[in-house]
Amino acid sequence: MDIRSQVSMVFHLDKCIGCHTCSIACKNIWTDRKGAEYMWWNNVETKPGTGYPTKWEDQEIYKGGWEKNGDSVSLKGAGKLKGLKNIFHNPNMPSLEDYYEPWAYRYTDLFEAPEGDDQPIGRAVSLITGEPIEIQAGPNWDDDLSGTPDYARQDVNFKHLSKAEQESMFQLERMTFHYLPRICNHCLNPACVGSCPSGALYKRGEDGVVLINQERCRAWRMCVTACPYKKSYYNWNTGKSEKCVLCYPRLESGQAPACMHSCVGRIRYLGVMLYDADRIEAVASCDEAELIDRQMEIYLDPFDPAVIKAAKENGISDSTIVAAQNSPVYKFVKKWRIALPLHPEFRTIPNLFYVLPLLPAMASVSEDGVYDSLSENLLSGVEKLRVPIRYLSSLFAAGNDNKIIEVFKRLHAVRVSRRDTTVKDVTETQLNKVMSEANMDIHEANEIFRLTSLATFEERFVVPAAHREEAIEMLENTGDVKGNTGFGFKMKPERGL
Amino acid sequence: MNNKRKIKTNLKTALLWSALFFPTGLLMAQDGAALFKTNCSACHNIGKGRLVGPDLKGVTNKRTEEWLGKFIKASQNFINSGDADAKAIFDEYKVVMPDFNLPDADIKAIIAHIASQSPAEAEQTATVEVVETATSSEPAMPGSEVASKEDIKKGSELFSGKTSFVNGGPSCLSCHNVSNEQVPAGGLLAKDLTSVYSRLGGDAGLQGILKSFPFPAMAHSYKNRPLTDEEVRLVSAFLYDADKSNIYQVSNSGNGIFIYGGGIALVVLLILIALLWYNRKKNNVKYDIYNRQIKSSN
Repeated sequence: MDIRSQVSMVFHLDKCIGCHTCSIACKNIWTDRKGAEYMWWNNVETKPGTGYPTKWEDQEIYKGGWEKNGDSVSLKGAGKLKGLKNIFHNPNMPSLEDYYEPWAYRYTDLFEAPEGDDQPIGRAVSLITGEPIEIQAGPNWDDDLSGTPDYARQDVNFKHLSKAEQESMFQLERMTFHYLPRICNHCLNPACVGSCPSGALYKRGEDGVVLINQERCRAWRMCVTACPYKKSYYNWNTGKSEKCVLCYPRLESGQAPACMHSCVGRIRYLGVMLYDADRIEAVASCDEAELIDRQMEIYLDPFDPAVIKAAKENGISDSTIVAAQNSPVYKFVKKWRIALPLHPEFRTIPNLFYVLPLLPAMASVSEDGVYDSLSENLLSGVEKLRVPIRYLSSLFAAGNDNKIIEVFKRLHAVRVSRRDTTVKDVTETQLNKVMSEANMDIHEANEIFRLTSLATFEERFVVPAAHREEAIEMLENTGDVKGNTGFGFKMKPERGL
Repeated sequence: MNNKRKIKTNLKTALLWSALFFPTGLLMAQDGAALFKTNCSACHNIGKGRLVGPDLKGVTNKRTEEWLGKFIKASQNFINSGDADAKAIFDEYKVVMPDFNLPDADIKAIIAHIASQSPAEAEQTATVEVVETATSSEPAMPGSEVASKEDIKKGSELFSGKTSFVNGGPSCLSCHNVSNEQVPAGGLLAKDLTSVYSRLGGDAGLQGILKSFPFPAMAHSYKNRPLTDEEVRLVSAFLYDADKSNIYQVSNSGNGIFIYGGGIALVVLLILIALLWYNRKKNNVKYDIYNRQIKSSN
């Protein structure tokens, strides 16, 4: 057992309203620089939709992630031979057209235009060339409510759905959509780290944050191709690749990352998970149907004395173990089993989990076209929900529908129990049936409800102490410099010294 | 000896020299013969007709020693410096004489040797006799014209390096090309030797060069590993044959194979590339969307 700690995240999709405050917070802190304008370390997508960069989920195009190779895994689009083959031109790497050409408006034109018959306009100018451009695409061009054939119907996950299932997602009163906020998953088996020929990418030992060393990066851009989530971006100005740093300077001072801190829907949770690093290869290379179960096994119970002992032997500090015990992520993922990783079939073992969107569950249209919101229908089984199970299983369960149904049963049980508490129109039989199907008691339902809806800031973000003093002690003996720093003189004083 | 000293009197500096160091002058004369053989005899003759360069018989009467010295040391510089006589000679022979960076004393010795071998008009016959006796002292080498087919074949093998030279000299083929079916296409570093036999005036010139290479690059390469007389005979026999049969030879430069083979290989390569990367991403993923935008905006 090789126990390590990992800062993990949970995003509650039922709560996301798609306001993009997270994206803007991240942009203002990290990517509002020349060469980084097109980067969205945090972005919010509409599902169904094509995402950003367009069709990022289609690894036939981008060749990201790992593929099973015997008892192990190998990179789909990077590696020694594959890298050599594409050394001069890598067709799998997203081009600027696959992202979008970033632009700003010429605001001064609005202020400085001479008086005339028409309103002045501020033209869009490219942030790359500085020339006026016709805007063709943006980072969030997908339509809400499944709009045009260009975006929602191009969703990559539809390849697992039959034509009829796809069509039903676009019928009035039956359509469904949800938002999908995405940041770097800080994976346990990161493809970007595996692909880097310069060794510039690394996974931080103390908290598992995946970073790019800007001094070692040699602009190979293999990580851009290899990351199946397309969360490594190339900065054309600095000639280095960049990615989400999980706001590690904020984490080290005990604050939540900016995207999470700013989230108005309070959908984001952050906490420590303890995992067994010895099992990574076995989990990453298991059969697709087992991927989720095996990934859940890799995260260990922070209350188990054997785990605590092994963690301490591995240098994990007591404060981190306590943080792992209070981790909201551990509760959502392991204890309550209502959060799943995005696209586990990429085999990177991502550490960002999503509580599935149950909406719109609360109404359906009957055969004769009546909009039905009676309790019986609302409380009937999860199979009658609007949101198509197959679509979600393609997103969150590598096509394993049962995993989605299990989560939905539990989420549904919480809903029914809350309805029983607030509206009180649920019969005891109904409640018991739902609760027993979900294998849940009322106490657990209340706990889930509390952390979902009423959680405080400290409950949502359990940031472990960074213990920077330990990091410094690894590099130098602090005793050597004690007494050497402090007050100094730029000019020699006339008296003294 | 008498004769030699008589001519020396015509040469002011030499006179001074020999007057002061007579025994040395004698020594020089002996050196002169050896030096002429190693440095000059490949291209020049005294009284036996022109080879690559002019026959040097009587040249000491026509030119001053200073003039000769300049020509020997740096013929091209001298020609370009505007000397009309030098230019006329170069225009006649069209072969660049290599620069001989010899000490002044050696050049004097060579000139003295030429002078000694070029008697005044009256005594010409006697000198020719002397020269003939000198040459006849060496064993006569059979001419290339009478070489057997086997000799030619052996010569071609020596030329191409199939059999090595006894003293370990490099094969001719590494620097020279000969258009002949018996040897593969050779190097392009030095002159094409297909017609070298007639160019250098037959056996005399060719074998002279092969015995002691006058060209700096070759002199260096064969410094301690000269060709044996038999090898010289065989190689020159081959070169004679190559020259003679040149008009029957089909060019074996291989240009055709390169051009047509290269063209076919290119087509094969392009097909291979097209097949291998058939599925690669050719347009950006929003290509269709952009196309639709353009259509609707029209």
